[in-house]
Amino acid sequence: MTTLTNEEIPPMENPSIQKLYELQDVTRVFRTGGGEVRAISDVNLEIYPGELISIEGPSGSGKTTLLQVLGALDKATSGTVRFGETELTEIDDKELTELRARDLGFVFQSFNLIPTLTAAENVEAALVTVAHSKKERRARVDELLEVVGLSERRDHLPTRLSGGEQQRVAIARALANGPRVILADEPTGNLDSETAREVVSVLRKLSTERGVTVIIVTHAEEVARMTERRIRMLDGRMLNGNGDPTWNQ
Amino acid sequence: MFSFTYMAKELRRRLGRTILTALGLAAGVGLVIGIIGVSEGLDEAQAQVLAPLGSVGTDILVTRVAGSTTAPTATPTPTPAADQPQQSFGPGGGGFFAGPPGAGRANAANQADTTALLNENNNVVTDLSKLGKPGAKFTHDFFLSATLLSFPQEAVDQIADIPGVTKVTGGLTQLAQHQTGTVPQIVAEITTGGKTVTQTVRPDPMTAEERAAFAACAQKSGGTTQTEPAPSPGAEPRRGGTFFFGPGAAEKCLPKRFQEFRASFITPMETIRQVVNPPSTDITNKSYTAAGIDPASPTVGLVTQTQLTSGHWLRSTNPNEVLANVAYANKNSLKVGSTVAINGTTYTVAGLVNPTLTGNTADLYFPLTSLQKLAGKTGRVTQVLVKAKDSASVDAVAKEIKKLLPGAEVVTTKSLADQVTGSLADAKKVASRLGGALGVIVLIAAFAIAMLLTLSSVAKRVREIGTLRAIGWSKGRVVKQILTETIGIGLLGGAAGIVLGLAAAFAVGAFSPSLSASSNGVPGFASSTLSGLFGQTQAAAHTSTIALKAPVHMTTLAIGVAFAVVGGLLAGTVGGWRAARLSPAEALRNLG
Ligand SMILES: Nc1ncnc2c1ncn2[C@@H]1O[C@H](COP(=O)(O)OP(=O)(O)OP(=O)(O)O)[C@@H](O)[C@H]1O
Ligand SMILES: [Mg+2]
Repeated sequence: MTTLTNEEIPPMENPSIQKLYELQDVTRVFRTGGGEVRAISDVNLEIYPGELISIEGPSGSGKTTLLQVLGALDKATSGTVRFGETELTEIDDKELTELRARDLGFVFQSFNLIPTLTAAENVEAALVTVAHSKKERRARVDELLEVVGLSERRDHLPTRLSGGEQQRVAIARALANGPRVILADEPTGNLDSETAREVVSVLRKLSTERGVTVIIVTHAEEVARMTERRIRMLDGRMLNGNGDPTWNQ
Repeated sequence: MFSFTYMAKELRRRLGRTILTALGLAAGVGLVIGIIGVSEGLDEAQAQVLAPLGSVGTDILVTRVAGSTTAPTATPTPTPAADQPQQSFGPGGGGFFAGPPGAGRANAANQADTTALLNENNNVVTDLSKLGKPGAKFTHDFFLSATLLSFPQEAVDQIADIPGVTKVTGGLTQLAQHQTGTVPQIVAEITTGGKTVTQTVRPDPMTAEERAAFAACAQKSGGTTQTEPAPSPGAEPRRGGTFFFGPGAAEKCLPKRFQEFRASFITPMETIRQVVNPPSTDITNKSYTAAGIDPASPTVGLVTQTQLTSGHWLRSTNPNEVLANVAYANKNSLKVGSTVAINGTTYTVAGLVNPTLTGNTADLYFPLTSLQKLAGKTGRVTQVLVKAKDSASVDAVAKEIKKLLPGAEVVTTKSLADQVTGSLADAKKVASRLGGALGVIVLIAAFAIAMLLTLSSVAKRVREIGTLRAIGWSKGRVVKQILTETIGIGLLGGAAGIVLGLAAAFAVGAFSPSLSASSNGVPGFASSTLSGLFGQTQAAAHTSTIALKAPVHMTTLAIGVAFAVVGGLLAGTVGGWRAARLSPAEALRNLG
């Protein structure tokens, strides 16, 4: 059991380090037929570039909701979500879409590769959102598949790839436009522990070697332990927010 | 293009849905192509029936049918109609051309017209004695107007002045009798009139001196035996008397005053020659129809340039060119460049034409002036073909023509179409109503199926769409992708529909149901068609039988494909709209 140490966490009060995310009193309320559901409430969170973070918590505790708010897929009902210089609660769908294309990468539990497209084409699907020539796209696809170690499988359809390979293609796709953050919702949920470890080490390498911020929602203690900072959630609340001494319990 | 790769792969993966959607559209498209084909086939069949007008770029046909002409007022004789057996004069008393305004021109034309009409049937006399001495071999073509009467060519210019008329041209249709044989001995000819009548006017009696001078003169010339007329006993003494003298004496000896009163009158020549059966010698008779057309009017006329199948159109510069009907050319082994000798002139076949008309085809088409000369009808036409500015102005123009030419039969395409009955008309009604409704229903069904299948496809692809949105695809890009796919399906459906439609059209063509069309008692139409004139159906119902074809034109195919693409567009729009409404967060949450 390795326990990550405190030293890797950037000092909270150091203004010289540019915050990547700054969330203040973020609440997301879903209105349903049966009433209101507070998926997350009063979340305060700061995230710095290059951090490797895990979010844990029981089912329904609001992990996915928080990740979607961070990933510009969903908007907070109240509170502020600052990403770099941008206030995500104030921009429209078009700008959110552009932000996702440029700065954010997603990895999902069930990989979500387009089943009709080959590994290379799946990566290319993310590249088409930013103007690139066909040649540039090809070179970039090759480079990305190289990073995740799947150059040999570029023309294979997802169905012919193992779970771990598919997830690595998904990571390559998430990396396509050089994002600042990768948001992974239970990326190892459908993988055996051996493969899970492989996938998490890929993500970890991105954080350490490329300075990409990686946020992983997970149920697996094993995965969470590989991260530098563990956030726990319960009933929509963050148990260990910024500077909370219990954050690493 | 990435979106095309994606589309192609997507269509292939969801092959069942692709095929189902495409087949739905194909059924609609195929039906539409079939219906358009049949309806165009019916249109063509109708155009064939209404050939004299429809297929020669004409909206209005002006003819003059025997029995329908009106009396020329210019004729000074107060004699009633009965005295002029050649034609019956209507009660209106107006000439062929209406009176004022412009009465001067019209009256002059009417006068000339009257004379020409009087001679109309005289021209057709087969006076074989003029062809040579009895016993000599002859070949001659006689031209007959029959009941399709001619009228002055001025009518063409006058109609051209009517507002709303874009094109107008005259045509002359004649039945030609080509006869060869030996000039017979007996030729019947009845001539009345033409006698010289000498009228003597009684001048004042001669004075004594005059009488003496006359007697002396007469005596000198030696012919006179009686110098003093004997007054009738008991009668009032007559002034003047009768002189008997030898020929030449009067001219020489009568006082000048008397000579001026001698006058000769010639009664009008009335050659009432009858159409007699040619004497039964070895004369053989071959008839054909000849039409005169204006070479300068290739789009409107008894035949048009579009009906030219080979060779070239008549040239105004060459009066000795003719166009031959393909059927006639085949029968008589005529080709482009062949020559035909008619009454001493050699005509070269400039081109072959295939007029699709049923009743009004001619065998040989001459330059109008050439036929006018051949037929002895200089300055006269039997038809005027008028093209109106648009279909809306046809009726107004027709009315104007009727006003302008009181003796004319004015027939419009519409007035013909309205009166065409029979299975063709029924089929047309069915095709336009049922066919149209069926087409609309099937298309709507095909569109609905395409839309539903696309919606279900979008529903199945919620996670995929959410993923695309997450990796930065905009709503627009997602919608475009779905549209690309559905239009792709539309094109596939269109292609399959073309195959279906062509198969349907082919089936109709192979089965080729025949339709009949009757134009019952159309004034001046049925009777003006030559088939009706010179034989069988005299002015009664004119019935044609036409085999239905379902022609498929490029435009029809384009319309079919357009419908399929519209179906794809509709489906894609609905699907895309649904996809654009998906919130990416929910889309991803739904299926984790
Ligand atoms: N669109 C929605 N409408 C209504 N309620 C919602 C919606 N999305 C999430 N919720 C509710 O919000 C709460 C938090 O859901 P969330 O998916 O964030 O939990 P989670 O921690 O990711 O759970 P799991 O571990 O099962 O994925 C749950 O009670 C859920 O039912
Ligand atoms: Mg979740």
